[in-house]
Amino acid sequence: MTIPTTPVRRADPPHAVPEAPGRGAPAGFAGAVAAEWTKLWSLRASYLCLVAGLAITGVFTYYYASIARINEHPVQPVGNAAASSAVLVQFAVVVLATVAVTSEYATGSVRTSLLSVPRRHRVHAAKALVAAVVAFVAGTTFAVVGTAVAWVGFDGRASFAAGASLRQVLAVGLYEALVAVLSIGVAFAMRHPAGALSILATLLWALPGILLGLGGPTLADLDDRLPQGAGGHFMRLEADAPYGPATAVLIVTAWAATAHLIGLYVLRRRDA
Amino acid sequence: MITVRGLTKRHGDILAVDDLTFDVRAGRVTGFLGPNGAGKSTTMRMILGLDHPTRGEALIGGRPYTSLRRPLCEVGAMLDARAVHPARSGRTHLVAQARANGIPARRVDEVLERVGLAKAARRPAGTYSLGMNGRLGVAGALLGDPSVLVLDEPVNGLDPDGVRWIRRLVREQAAQGRTVFLSSHLMSEMQLTADHLVVIGRGRLLSDASMGEFLAAASLASARTVVPDPEGRATLIRRLTSIDGVSVEVSASGELTVEGRTAAEIGDLAHYCRVRLHRLSDVEVSLEQAYMDLTARSAEYTAGSAADPTAALAAPNEAGRA
Repeated sequence: MTIPTTPVRRADPPHAVPEAPGRGAPAGFAGAVAAEWTKLWSLRASYLCLVAGLAITGVFTYYYASIARINEHPVQPVGNAAASSAVLVQFAVVVLATVAVTSEYATGSVRTSLLSVPRRHRVHAAKALVAAVVAFVAGTTFAVVGTAVAWVGFDGRASFAAGASLRQVLAVGLYEALVAVLSIGVAFAMRHPAGALSILATLLWALPGILLGLGGPTLADLDDRLPQGAGGHFMRLEADAPYGPATAVLIVTAWAATAHLIGLYVLRRRDA
Repeated sequence: MITVRGLTKRHGDILAVDDLTFDVRAGRVTGFLGPNGAGKSTTMRMILGLDHPTRGEALIGGRPYTSLRRPLCEVGAMLDARAVHPARSGRTHLVAQARANGIPARRVDEVLERVGLAKAARRPAGTYSLGMNGRLGVAGALLGDPSVLVLDEPVNGLDPDGVRWIRRLVREQAAQGRTVFLSSHLMSEMQLTADHLVVIGRGRLLSDASMGEFLAAASLASARTVVPDPEGRATLIRRLTSIDGVSVEVSASGELTVEGRTAAEIGDLAHYCRVRLHRLSDVEVSLEQAYMDLTARSAEYTAGSAADPTAALAAPNEAGRA
């Protein structure tokens, strides 16, 4: 029988504080953001989502503009094409953001994430911020490309004003960023991609479709309170909007904030 | 140092961890033993802030894990080696963790080199073998050069070389004065690796003792002897079994295994009864036997609910021997 010998205790003080490599480099929230950034861009799914978003933008805006030209719609701001494409393109952002969360639960690597950033609100906020920034940049890029494509498709049936177009491009970016925050919140609350995506698809796609499809002022009113309806009101330049663009932004922000808080509540309460 | 105080975790009606209190000290390897489902992993997850305790607390250097600003620079943990995104390379997996803790990327390459994964570092982790995943997990635990290591079944899936490598690594870490807390179900490996043992069963603490004490407590007087003459054998068995707390087993070849008496005592008794012996030796208890004894005793106590199961360990020599 061998009883392992106790290691020789050193006389000098034990290794209490190791010479941690790289002290001084950012940790905390900045570190958490850097980690999320690294994780997001190490997955092919993220790139695929953005490429898909770009492709959808191109096809949709050209289609939108061509219909307007063929049916001789009244002249409208060219940016409306890109603003309308956001209804579809948002799903690229939804999938990107959702998968960034649910893939961690599916593989168990969420534990690694929580071990390196044990403050859960920080992990959640970092993920939301990274997704929002990516969605904003992607959204504005899509909008610029969509506007250019639509200009060709409209072939004269659209008006161009630098200020208005810039405002619409930024509005699309903002909308996509808020949708990203919304998706991260829902994904943290649900943990599984199927659950998260069905909630998001219902909220952002099925529900508006049903409400507007059934018609009637009450249902249309209701749709104006949903993120996509409200988003349309600040991305499109319309004369007959029920409320101003600031209110519209606030409505979408309220949806994103609510989802964020629900996701955070679940993340903090449940065991990882 | 890790301090666990009254740590309790309830899943619905089941008490997964029941009022655990123990310390994991610096400068030695503390083994964490218990059957499957005893609550080892849950305990480790609570120490690391992943699961919320129902009651009690677990502190690392006096603070909860979740309050550590650069946790990887203070605690290195490996829970489930396979919990890596399969599409991500091993290096990126570590880089993300390093960035969150302000650890430079060159340290990532250092630890990858140290665990022997430098060549595979840029391959997707999904292509790794179980052993390579284990090495990646260890690399993650060493990333921040932490003073506390928490390793859940670190030798799982490793080949014999890997097992030896882990043993040397954790012994070396402990010798440098670090705190090492590791669980394993491989008793022989644990016997070679650990200085101190914390044993739990059904979520409760069964033993918190040094390896030497643990083995000594279990290795109460047990000896083996061969009695060539059948008549003498019968006499000796009769005399032995008439003593309280002594049991005798006879093997097919006529070898007696006596529990409750040392070789010296049996020798004296045989001499007194004029029974000839061939071969007489004390039985040295392995950790596996000691552990099985302990869990069996605790199971008896729990089943009979006659006493606190920890009493089984407090007085192991008197407990449960017929």
